[in-house]
This record gives sequence, structure tokens and C-alpha cells, in this order.
Amino acid sequence: MTTKSPYLFVSYAETNRVLAEPYQRVVITTIAAAILCMPLVAGGYFLHLMNLCFIAVIGAVGINLLTGYCGQLSLGQASFLAIGAFTTAILSRRFGMPFFVAIPVSCCAGAAVGFVVGLPALRFRGIYLAITTLAMHYAIIYVLTNYQAIVGPSASAGITVPAPSLGGFTLDTERGWFYALLIVAALVVMFALNLTRTYIGRAWVAIRDRDIAAETSGINVPRYKLLAFAISAALAALAGSLGAYFTTVVTVEEYTLELAIVYLAMIIVGGMGSVTGSVLGAVFITLLPFAVARLFEALPWQLGTTAFGIQEAAIGVAIVGFLLFEPDGLIEIYRRIAVYFERWPFRYRELKAGGG
Amino acid sequence: MSILAVGSTYALLAAGIVIIYKASRVVNFAHGELAIVGAYVFHSAGFLTGATLSGLSLLVTIAISAIGSVLFGVLIYFSLMRRLLGRPTFVAAMVTIGLAIILKAGIVVIWQSRSAGIAIGRQPLFSFTGGGRIAWIDLVSILACVAAFAALAVFFQYTRLGRQFRGAAENPLLAAQRQVNINLILALAWALAVFSATVAGVLFGSRSMLSPQGTIVGMSGLTAALVGGLDSLRGAAIGGFLVAAATYLTARLISPTLAETVPFLILLAVMSWRPWGLFGTVEELNRV
Repeated sequence: MTTKSPYLFVSYAETNRVLAEPYQRVVITTIAAAILCMPLVAGGYFLHLMNLCFIAVIGAVGINLLTGYCGQLSLGQASFLAIGAFTTAILSRRFGMPFFVAIPVSCCAGAAVGFVVGLPALRFRGIYLAITTLAMHYAIIYVLTNYQAIVGPSASAGITVPAPSLGGFTLDTERGWFYALLIVAALVVMFALNLTRTYIGRAWVAIRDRDIAAETSGINVPRYKLLAFAISAALAALAGSLGAYFTTVVTVEEYTLELAIVYLAMIIVGGMGSVTGSVLGAVFITLLPFAVARLFEALPWQLGTTAFGIQEAAIGVAIVGFLLFEPDGLIEIYRRIAVYFERWPFRYRELKAGGG
Repeated sequence: MSILAVGSTYALLAAGIVIIYKASRVVNFAHGELAIVGAYVFHSAGFLTGATLSGLSLLVTIAISAIGSVLFGVLIYFSLMRRLLGRPTFVAAMVTIGLAIILKAGIVVIWQSRSAGIAIGRQPLFSFTGGGRIAWIDLVSILACVAAFAALAVFFQYTRLGRQFRGAAENPLLAAQRQVNINLILALAWALAVFSATVAGVLFGSRSMLSPQGTIVGMSGLTAALVGGLDSLRGAAIGGFLVAAATYLTARLISPTLAETVPFLILLAVMSWRPWGLFGTVEELNRV
């Protein structure tokens, strides 16, 4: 056995490892321990923000599989979330289903809708696909708006969702949610990391890089495009479903085009085609408005509506800024720093292709 | 008549989207926001020059808005879009999405989301016996639309710059090698687009109240551009009137809530039937 090096692979298994270097194990363990201990020290508000981050991570991983890995630009993410949330609301409210039935069924509903929304992808690429998914988004939201007007107490009140409970335990504290969402988010991240290293993930990357070449190499392009839409939509529906349970109320007004853009912003900021990047981006974009609001609270004068506007603008600035100046996102910044320390005191350029 | 007036607004919006798409293959998702911001600027300028908006103050307001919008278009090109040349066009489209968010937030910051109306031309031109009436502004809308399209047609067909524009749209590399100033052409495209968006926004604002939610009108413009074909000015005009007619008839005959979704249903129908639009170039699709 030769000495291990991040740049010298002696077997194919090594090229596929999730944690390529020993120090990453230490980093991951430290982060995991820090996150697990967080509820012991942090207050309810902070845990609430973390819970929002976990839900965003699930949705962001979903859209990154579709847009970052498979290269299918989609503005339909908010409608997938809405499908998940509404399926959960209908099942738990109207039919009294427990969460362990409602959540999987929501995912399946999301996958089915994703499949349908993905059908135009067989014909279009790039911006035309984005416009089609945009139209699909409005069509789905229109249906849900009408549904909400029919079943809800009033057109704008939305549908309340009971807290999930199993046996005698009801999930209704921020701390309880923290651990529940942490587990789900971690499972989703591991699922995505593994998926991207299998045939499916590599087929997606091949389709993204050049679909004609992918087809020539024997990849069933329509099948894998639709699979990407279905899995991405299922993960978004999972996020929507958990979000419905978490916020205990589902309103269609929540699922605007802005939300779809926010999810797109997460993977732009985090890094397209990187699962770790989607985690970073989801946390960054979720916390950004709160951080900006916090910043304004520190100012001596009151800003009122202006502060609200600037909060909104922050996401737009993040999108434009990252696209112009750091198109590979936060993960690229992380890689540069990691490589700098790895190579120190030398200044070698990074040699390996980015993964993970 | 209302269809014609609203349709001319949509057609103007679509024209801006088409101009940018022709020149740079970028779909501008910020067009509705540009229109509404332009209308707000017009409103504020009108407020500064005298609240009545007649005679001289109207002219000054129009001049301020026109110059402002052209400069803003040039600014967008040189600060954002120029850096994206040579990158995939969908990246530029995503930047316009970011720009849309910033502009919409700008309305909140600068105008505090106040709803505002532009009170020009509300006087009836003549009234029908049935209670219907035509306002001056409806006539102005249609005339502005016809004038804009005529001017654009003449510009592209007969002027040297217009011919250079078409050349650059067809093959930027070859055009650049033949001494066409690509930066000038693209900046001009953005200036024309923002200018036409502002005109459309002002016409929109004179018919309904301005608010950040009004930016959704950009989607009608985008639909109109797609119906006509993203690279066809003639298509933009016809698409605008088709979308306006479909929306109006749905609101009248079926339900007003469905009418908001109608542009998107048309979009889906066009995308599944003729993705290149009524007058667009067919081989466009292979390039996207």
C-alpha cells in the first residue's frame, strides 16, 4: 500500500470516497458534535432559525440534484413544496392520517407532480425549460388557491395541521423539532451524497455536461431527466411536508415564485453541483434576512419599511454577486481555503477535480 | 378598445424582451420590475415638476423619465450584463432574476410600497351610450405602441446602426470582426428595452394603481414575447394583443381569478405547440 495522498489514487474506490482526507473526518465529527450540543446552550429563537435551516437544506439538496447535477433549470421548486405541504395538510386534517403515513405519501405526490413538470424537459433545455416550469408553477398554485378557498374557513386563512405524535409523544417543542429535523436533513444529505456517486448521479452529470454525448454513451437521457425531476420534487415535497408540520398552518400565499427563486439562490450561493454546497447555501440564504434585520436593530435610528426592503434586496444582491464574482459558490471559497492550508507553506494549485 | 389599450402595453413590454433576446440571447426576467420602477420614477418626477401634470410639467416629466430610463439601461448593461458575455446565457437570465428582486425591493425602499396612480389622460375621449367610454390614455397607449413599433421597424430596416444591430444579433463574432461595436449595440439594446418598459409601465400606471405586486405584468409581457416568438418584433406586437384579448375575455366570461393565470396557461400551450412562437425562427430551439 502506497502512502495515501489526496492527489494520488491507487484504486477506483478512493476516487469515490465521500471523505477523501483524514482531516475531513475530524472536521465532520467536530461539526456534528457542535450541532448535537447546540440545544443545550442555545435559546428558542436560535433553535427556530436552525430548524428553518434544516428544512431549507432538504429542499436545497433536492433542487441541487436537479439543477446542479442534472443541469435542468427549474423555477418550480415552490410548487413542489406546496404540493408536499398541501398533501400533508389534507391527509392529516381531513383523513386523520398520522405523520408516518402523511410524509411518505406527500413525497410520492411530489414525485408524481415532479414527473409531470419534468415532461417538457424532454423537449427543452435551459431557459425555455425554466419558463415552462414557471408556467407550471402558476398553474399548480392556481389549483391550490382554489382548493384552499373551498376547504379552508376562508380564502386566506389556510389549513391548520396538527402536530405529529407517536405513542404518547407529541413533537411540538423547538428542541424536539431540532433533533427530528436534524436526523431527516442528515439522512437526506447522506442519500444525496451517495446518489451522486452511483450510476444515477454520474448519468445526471453526463447529461448536464453534454446531453448528446451522454446519449451516445448509452445513458437513457429522458429516463434520467425525469428521475431527476421526480427525486428533486420528492425532496422538495418532503421539505414542504415537514414545513407544514413545523409551522402548523399551510397557506398557498407562502409558496410564491419568490420562494422558488430563494431556493435557486441557495444553490447559486452554495455551489451548483455540490451537496455540501447546497447545505452551505441553504444556511446562508435562510439566515441572511435575519442577519440583515439584526444589523438594522443595532442601528441607532428606526428604518421601518426600508429595512424590510433591504432584507428583500439582500437575496437579490447575493444572487447577482455570486453569479458575477464567485460562480462556483461558497463551496469554492471553502475549497480554496482548504487547499491553501493543505499545501501550506507551498502554493501549489489544486490538482484534483472537485467532488462532494 | 380596452383590449387594444392593454394589448399595446403588453406589446411594448414584449418588444423590450425581444430586443434584449435578439441582441444577446438573454431572457430578461426583470422586465415587469423595470416597467414598474419606470412608472414610479415618472410619478415622482411628475410630483416634483408640479402635481397637475399638464403642459410644460408633463413634457419635463416625460423628458426626465426618458433620459433616466435610457441611462439606467446603459448602466445595467455596463455594470452587470457586460461581465456575463461569454458565460452561458441562462446565467445572465438568472442575474436578471436577481436584478428583479433588487428592483422590487428598491420600490419598497424608495417608495415605501405606496400605491400610486398616474393621473394623466383619465378624461373620457368620448362615451358610448351603453356606459362604456374611451379615455384619452387608451388612445395615447395605442398611438405610442404603433409609433414605437414603426420607429423600431424603420431603425432596424433602414439605419446603419440598425443594420449593425441585426448583424450583431445574427453573429456577434463576425459582426465584431467587421468593426461593429458590440458593446454599443448591447448597451443600446438595454437602453431601448428599459425605455420601452418605462413607457409600458407609465401606460400601465395610468390605468391601474402602481404597487410592487404590479411587477407581475412582466410575465404577461414575457408570454406575449413567447407567443409571438422571442426573436420577432412583429410577433411581439401580435402576441401582446393576443394575450390581452385572452386575459380580458377570460375575466369577462369565466372568472377574474382565472384571468391572472391565463398568461401562464397560454405559455404552456405555446410551449407544447410551437415553442418558437408564431413568428420566431425555428432553429432557435437547438441553440438554447
